[in-house]
Amino acid sequence: MHTILVKKEYTKKEVLKANEAPGKKKGLTSGSWVHDLCSLQKVITLCPLCQHKFNPGRLHYIRDKDMPICIATCDGCKTFDTHCAAYFYEPTFKTVRSTAADRRAERTAYRKREALLG
Amino acid sequence: MQYTYMLSGGTPVIKKYKTAASHLAGIIVLTPAAEATGVSVSTTTGWDNSVGLTLDRSLSAASPIAYSTVQGDPEPTQSVIVSPDAVLRALLVGSAVNVALEQRVVGTASSNGLTAVGTTGETDPSNPDMDEGTVWYNSGSNGGASRKITSTTTALTVTVIVPFAANRVGDRFITIDYSQGQVTGVTMSTNLLNVRGEMAATGTTNGATVDLELNGTTDSYLHLVQLNHAFASS
Repeated sequence: MHTILVKKEYTKKEVLKANEAPGKKKGLTSGSWVHDLCSLQKVITLCPLCQHKFNPGRLHYIRDKDMPICIATCDGCKTFDTHCAAYFYEPTFKTVRSTAADRRAERTAYRKREALLG
Repeated sequence: MQYTYMLSGGTPVIKKYKTAASHLAGIIVLTPAAEATGVSVSTTTGWDNSVGLTLDRSLSAASPIAYSTVQGDPEPTQSVIVSPDAVLRALLVGSAVNVALEQRVVGTASSNGLTAVGTTGETDPSNPDMDEGTVWYNSGSNGGASRKITSTTTALTVTVIVPFAANRVGDRFITIDYSQGQVTGVTMSTNLLNVRGEMAATGTTNGATVDLELNGTTDSYLHLVQLNHAFASS
């Protein structure tokens, strides 16, 4: 019996799907996995059912109030959810996120500075 | 760069992707190169097949872990906002190493408001050419006003069509080669976090300018969308 091998041309989307991180390994509890991610200062995404189990302040994380939901895979239960919450490691938050409050404060500081300079 | 909002007003999609090297947080990453271990880093002018903006700095050298292919080490991954219409906010800087933008000072007053003429010794706005960019004042009767530049000359002059109020010698103004709705491409600083405002637009199509935040020399920003996104192009 002969087998015909057909080379598959992968699309960019398929390549990227294959590049998604698989999440926690079998046997590891969700809490351990989320704490591992926190120690690596990663963004944590949690679905509504897992959010109450996570205490962001204790781990120097903050929830982005300007972005109440995001579409992501829950780091706790691995469910792809359209109503996840994103928690950012606080020291890197300002590097990657601009909120309306930040922009307002920056604009106010600029106006005050220019008013002083005349 | 910072994630600011969605052009469509929706919710961003965040994915955790395997990475091919130590990437910073707040930079654009690209689809994996052949035989690479994950998403690749962009260049100062190249965003072809961009995937999105990195959200954590997990793999900056040795802090907290270095990129490693050693058995037993954690797999390098990073969170990425992969939505093609995510608007990214980039600080405007004046060089590859992120110095402040150049602030020009009016050397010759313009009563009709159609020109802004700098002072001898300043960088000529025609080289790099700021034509089709934006000029705005930080002081004087035009403080806070901006116009699109319609031409430049070698005599330290930028010209506009909709006139400013008359300016006077000593007024401070800034020019950049970006204007709202422009799709002519940006040049990033060496660390890939900021946009070089002292350069002319590149002609590449990496980012389109959605909006401008025109403040001072150290706190002005471009709002960009990625033009050649892996999930938006064919």
